[in-house]
Order: sequence, then structure tokens, then C-alpha cells
Amino acid sequence: MKIKKSLLGVGLGIAGLLLTACGGNSNPLGDASSPQPSQSGSATGAQGAPVVVGSADFTESKILAEIYSQALKAKGVESSTKLGIGSREIYTKALQDGSISAVPEYTGNLLLNFDANATATTAEEVEKSLPAVLPPGIKVLKASPAVDQDVYVVTKDFSAKSGITSLEDLKKIASTSTLGGPPELEKRAYGPPGLEKIYGAKFKSFVPYAKYPPKISDLDSNKIQVATFFTTDAVISEKGYVQLEDPQSMILPQNVIPLVRSDVADNANAVAALDAVQSALTTEDLVQLDKKVDSERQDPAQVAGEWLKGKGLA
Amino acid sequence: MNIFSYLTDPANWQGPAGIWNLLLQHLAYTAASVAIAAAIAIPLGIFIGHTGRGSFLVIGVSNAARAVPTLGLLVLVVLLLGTGVGPIIGVLAVLALPPILTATATGIQGADHEAVHAARALGMSARQIVSKVEWPLALPLVISGLRSATLQVVATATVAAYSSGEGLGRLLITGNATRNYAEMFAGAFMVAALAIVLDILLGGLGWLASRHASPGRRRRRGRQASPRGETVSQPA
Amino acid sequence: MNLDWAWIQRNLSMIGNLLVEHIILSVLPVLVALVISLPLGFLVFKTKRVANVILAFLGVIYSIPSLALFVMMPLILGTKILNPVNIVAALSIYSIALLVRSVVDGLRSVPASVKESASAVGYGWLRRLVRVELPLAMPVIYSGLRVVTVSNIALVSVAVLIGSGALGKLFDLGFGSFFYTPIIVGLVLMLALALAADALILLMQRGTLPWFRKRQTA
Repeated sequence: MKIKKSLLGVGLGIAGLLLTACGGNSNPLGDASSPQPSQSGSATGAQGAPVVVGSADFTESKILAEIYSQALKAKGVESSTKLGIGSREIYTKALQDGSISAVPEYTGNLLLNFDANATATTAEEVEKSLPAVLPPGIKVLKASPAVDQDVYVVTKDFSAKSGITSLEDLKKIASTSTLGGPPELEKRAYGPPGLEKIYGAKFKSFVPYAKYPPKISDLDSNKIQVATFFTTDAVISEKGYVQLEDPQSMILPQNVIPLVRSDVADNANAVAALDAVQSALTTEDLVQLDKKVDSERQDPAQVAGEWLKGKGLA
Repeated sequence: MNIFSYLTDPANWQGPAGIWNLLLQHLAYTAASVAIAAAIAIPLGIFIGHTGRGSFLVIGVSNAARAVPTLGLLVLVVLLLGTGVGPIIGVLAVLALPPILTATATGIQGADHEAVHAARALGMSARQIVSKVEWPLALPLVISGLRSATLQVVATATVAAYSSGEGLGRLLITGNATRNYAEMFAGAFMVAALAIVLDILLGGLGWLASRHASPGRRRRRGRQASPRGETVSQPA
Repeated sequence: MNLDWAWIQRNLSMIGNLLVEHIILSVLPVLVALVISLPLGFLVFKTKRVANVILAFLGVIYSIPSLALFVMMPLILGTKILNPVNIVAALSIYSIALLVRSVVDGLRSVPASVKESASAVGYGWLRRLVRVELPLAMPVIYSGLRVVTVSNIALVSVAVLIGSGALGKLFDLGFGSFFYTPIIVGLVLMLALALAADALILLMQRGTLPWFRKRQTA
């Protein structure tokens, strides 16, 4: 019995130690980026209740989420963040089931997400069309002049050699070329389906890239010929990529806009805080903030705080 | 939702990103990496097993290999060397080396000593001893090492899609990004099926080899000193 | 490849949290597996012929890549995909598959003469099992424990592809921004964890089975 007992003892000891560690930190088993089932729907924005701001996986989304959250706190609204949840499909679910109550969004893609046949083309039209298509319980607040578009790029060399400078030109080379972008792009309206329908360009294949480095590396080595990025990404100017024009507005204007649950929209303090942020935000701000985090490895929460202080919002 | 819906839709099997093509890519990566690893590990293992030199290396390597997080290694190599087929096969081959090396060295070294002594007494040269006596006796263990290595590579190749978009792992990653569980399940199912099929095939091969190794003897049950227990590390 | 120490310092608490999460996700399955594998292994051992069939079946389970099993768990358990229970459950299954084999091999390695002597002295089957067979089987079981624990530590990181993965998230972070520091930190911590766990189990073995001190099992 001695051996079994000592084994059992050690085992229980370890388990006990770990469980106490569990209590100490913010529950390590509660994965910060997992949408939990609705019973944690206490993340509502009703008067005074904490607003949980979620974000997508990319840097800018995380920075914006931090900005929103800290701005809310500065105005006396309790708030916390859940960064890096995933793609729109994932965090929209989290918003609907209440695990988060706000998330920074982009007007154009948001509209297409809920209404694939939307006909709006200008920034104002897009913003106006949004409330009608959103699911019940979800609202948008004020849009910002700051924009960050999806953009198709090719390398400088490729553009020089093939003369491609616009999405219109793609149909000339598409059938022998490969497109690279985030996995979710494959089925999106402004992805391959849109290129085919609006510009008549059907690519030979699509390679999904969950992360930038392999995409950048493959684009540079011509393993893929066309890739998508965001207009505020530092890498575009760093590498001198050529942004392809979009004469038919396949890619809608993407103004930053907060997507929130109704209770947050009903909270006057929260709305005031976020509206102020929205007015103060510019595209150039986005570029600088992204650079600080992506190129200089600074912390999103920190650069968010500095920006807010600089604008007198915190 | 029907989780088999992705698998049962024939459109998903065709095209460059179709299940069939991804499966072939996966197999190609696996075959290439295991072949390269075997080309290095088997000769090295024979040397270590036959001469007894460097056996500490074998134990150390096999223990250490189990602890390597394959995703971390993959990511590091891709950042350093790029996303080409070369670096990825390189990582996979490196991960396949330890099981094959350990199995070969152990097999050669553990080859029935009476048989080896008899061969020496007969005046056989080292090369003859290895090829006619030690190798056939070690073969079952070598095959079990190849089996472990193959499973390790099939598993890691799934992860490799994270950086290259090739192989069955792509279904898992895209499915995860678009919340399409059917697609994720398709990827998981295919990878599991591939692993099981290869495992059974190589297991059968190993059984044949053990029959060949000791044809005149009664099959000694349970004494095949659990090769899987020693040489195996859970594939990623 | 320079390490950005400033980044490490800034993110110590995040790294710490991930480390604790990683420990829990790797060790819990081992504990679960141990509790299940000892009796289960004994039962399998007892079945003699059928044992090999069962072991072969477990071998098949063991051959399934972990990521595939992580993804298929929600089906079996009805959980959401991001639920860490999936990972613990999947790793437990692997650990059981391996540990049952270890228990069976260990019990099989007890010489018949020793068992007969024990019976001759008057030990009942249970007393013989607990006082004689199990202790003699322990080295093999310990060896299995070490393999399983070290493997689990590495495997948890793979779950990053489905949004979890504890320390694996550092790989994700580093890979996404061409940033080596988190990757190195993740690798170092995981390897250190594996070494510590391996050493700990070895110590436990030495402590509980002093008569086997000289026998080095790989």
C-alpha cells in the first residue's frame, strides 16, 4: 500500500497546488479568446455594467479595442478586453451570445457580412444602410473618418513586368496566377467570388495564410502573384507593394465603427466616450499605431493609452 | 448541422484545394520526409548498433525528441528559412529521425547474440554479419521505428499547413477561420484515417518482417519487447 | 536573432498565465490517465489473449494525430470547440492508450517464479498484486509516465491552431509578427517544463522504488 499511497499523495499534492494557482490568476483555464456559452452574458452594457470589448486577430483591431476600452474607463464605464478572438464569423457569434459587448468594426465589410447584395457604394451610403441589416440586439455607433481598406497588392517588380495596376487588369493574368489572403477571404464577397463576378478574374488557385510572414515571403518570391493586405499595414510602404485600384468599388469604404450590443448603445456614457474616440481618430493615426505595435513591438494597450492621452480623451 | 457535409460534397474533393489534392500533398510530404530521415538514420543506426559506439547519443536524442513542440520548431524554421517545400520537409525529416535511429540502433544491437556469435565464428566479415544476420533480425524493430516516424510526420504535416497552406491541415485552419465545423471535421477525419491506414499497413509489414526474422521458431507472444513503448513518441 | 528582453519583461504576467495554463492542461490528463490506467491495465493484463487485441486497438487510437482528436472531441463530448476540456479529454485518451500498455507490459514482466513464491507464502491475489506485482511493474509504468507527461507538454501547444494551446500562443504571436522572442520564450519554457517534469517523475521513482536505483530505463 505504501507505494500507491505515496503516488496518490503526490498526485493530490500537485492537483491541489495547481488548483490554488487557478484561483490566484484570472482563471487560466478560461481561455481569454474563447466565446463562452451564454451564461456569461453578464458582459452587458446596461447602466454601469462592464463593457467587454473584443477584437479580431490582427493588430489594428486589438489597438482599437484597447482604445475603446480605455476610453470607456476614462468616462467611468467599467470595461475589459478580450483580444484576438478570431475572424468576423467568430467574434460576431461572441457578440451575439453576450461574451463580448462591443467590437471595433469596418463599415463596408460589416455591411457585406449581413447583406451580401448591398448596393451602397459611398461611405455615407454604407453607414446609412447598416442599422437595417444588423441582427436584433446589435447596433452600430458613429462611424469615424479613419479608414482601413482591404487591398489587393502585387510587388513592384510584378507590376512593372506585367503592367498590372488595377483590379481590372487581373483578368489578364488570373488564370495562371495564385492569390493569397486570409483563410476567410476565399468565400467573401470581395474575395475570389467578387473578383470573378465583378472583374472577370478567376484565379488558378487561392492559398490561405493565417499569418503575414509566409504571405509576404511567398509574394516576394513569386510563389503567389497577388495578395491582400490592409491599407494601413506598414509592410505595404516598407516593401513598396503596388496597391491595385478598384474602379468598380468592389471593396466598399471601410470606416472604423463600433459594433455593440443594444444595452451598450443605451448607455449614454459609453456612447459619449466612443463617439469622442470616433471623431478624433484619423487614418494616419491608424498607420502610426499599427507601426508602433507591428514594427516596434510595443504593447497595444500602451500605445492605445498614449494615443488617448494625446487626444485628451483619457 | 451534418458534420459529414463537407466530406460528402463531391465538389470539395476536386480542384487544387480539394480534399483529394490536399491528401496527395500530405502523402508526398510524408513520404519524402520519412525517406530522407531513413536514408540518414538507418545507416547511422546500423553503425551505432553494430559497433556499440554512440549509443548514449541514441537514448538522449530519443528522449529529447519527445519534448520538442513541433509547432514551435516549424514556426522558427519557416521564419528563418522561408516557406519553401525544402524547409518544411527539413523540419519533418528532423522530427522523423529519432524514432528511426533509435529503433535501428536498438534492433541491430539487440539482434540475437547467439546468431551473431555464430556468424563471427563462421568467419563472416562485418558487412556480412550486418547484412545477413543483424539486419534481418533487426528489421521488425526498424519497421516499427519507421511506423512511429511516419505517424509523427503525418501529424506534423497537418500542422505545417499553418505556414504553407498545403496538406490536409488546410481544412482545419480554413474551417476554424470560417467557423465551418464540417470542414474542420473533414480535415480531422482525413488525417486520422490516413494515420490509421498507414499505421495498419506498416504494422502488417512489421509482422511480416518478424515472421521472416524468426521463421523456424515458435512465435513468442509478448516478448516482442513492446517496440512501440520504447521508440514511440506521440506524433504531434 | 536578438531576444527582446524588454518585451519579455513587459509581458511577464501574460507569459506566467500561459505557463500555468500549460501545466494544468498537460498534467491533468496524466493524472486522469493514471487513475484509469492502473485498474484498466490490470484488467487487460488479466484477459491474456484478448489483451493483445485490446492493446492493438489502443495502438490505433494512439496513432491518431492529436490535432485531429482535438477537433473531433466536441462530437464525442458535445462541447464547444474552444473548450479546454477537449484538450484535456483528448490528451487523457492518448495517455490512457500508452499507460495501459505500460501497465500491461509491467505486469507481464514480473517473473512467474516471484508470483508463485508469493502465493506459496500465502498471499491472496489482491495482496500479491498490490505488494508484489505492482511494485515490480512500477519501473515500466514510471517509464510510461515520463513518456506521456513529456509528450503532453509538447502536444498542448499544437492546440493553438484551434485557438487554445497555452504557451503555444507565444508561437502564434511570434509567427504573426516575424518576432522571434515569443517563439524562443515558448520553446525554452516548454523544454524546461519537460525537463522538470521528467526529473520530477524520476525522483518520485527513486523515492518510491529505492531498490531499482541502478536500473536505468530509457
